Amino acid sequence: MKFKAMGMSKILRVSGILLILGLAIEAVSLMFNHPLSFMGFIIVGGALLAIGVLLFLHSLVEIAQANTGSAQK
Amino acid sequence: MPGPNALLFLLIGVTIIVIAMVVIRPSLTMTREGKMLAFVGFCVLPILCGTLGASEHFERSKQTSFCLSCHIMEPWGKSLNVDDPAYIPAAHFQNHRIPADEACYTCHTNYAMYGSFKVKLNGLHHVYVNYFGKPMNPIHLYEPFNNRECLHCHEGARSFQSVTHVAMMDVLKANQLSCVSSGCHDTIHNTAGQDKVKFWSPAP
Repeated sequence: MKFKAMGMSKILRVSGILLILGLAIEAVSLMFNHPLSFMGFIIVGGALLAIGVLLFLHSLVEIAQANTGSAQK
Repeated sequence: MPGPNALLFLLIGVTIIVIAMVVIRPSLTMTREGKMLAFVGFCVLPILCGTLGASEHFERSKQTSFCLSCHIMEPWGKSLNVDDPAYIPAAHFQNHRIPADEACYTCHTNYAMYGSFKVKLNGLHHVYVNYFGKPMNPIHLYEPFNNRECLHCHEGARSFQSVTHVAMMDVLKANQLSCVSSGCHDTIHNTAGQDKVKFWSPAP
């Protein structure tokens, strides 16, 4: 995925939607005491949260690199 | 005062609101405060929610009802209500020698260092196998039942200080003689013989 081409606002949007979905799944899974809700929490919710957070952190690194590059020019 | 669950739901709600604010108005991140808000909303709060949620789920997974919610565990759950004191799990469960709401976990956890973590990983594997794999038939333990799990409670207890137990303590501690399979306390769940036993039902 070309993060630079996507732009910060789009990355934020994608990351935010993933996080909201992950949090919603985690909230729903917490309403039930069943092994499937546990799996849903760990596998689906956890994965969405992890991808969302990593995407956001990656975008921060990209921006920091872009700023360093433009300052050197 | 709201319980920990309510606070967790509140935290998830607040996190979703913060994220939604930034998603709807990305221009918020132009300011220093906005950047900090985005970092907290997109990184700190989700990690906190995930950690607290996982902790809550792990706590719940100790419950007897959680273990018995898989159909395959039904006979083992039933064995807790056998009306015969020779059945070790039943005697422990019915007389509350172990917490009745955490009966499976209390005996089948590993009381060594990282034991709780290891047993929960095994639990995740059980859930996976139950839904996506082929459960072993018949169900059996990964390794022979360790006397350490019995001695965790019984060692030092007055009722356990009989001549026989004291005499064989070293052997028991070294697992050279099993508490449950040596002809001493060898009636465990015995799920195969459930059609021949009576069942106890607790008073309503």
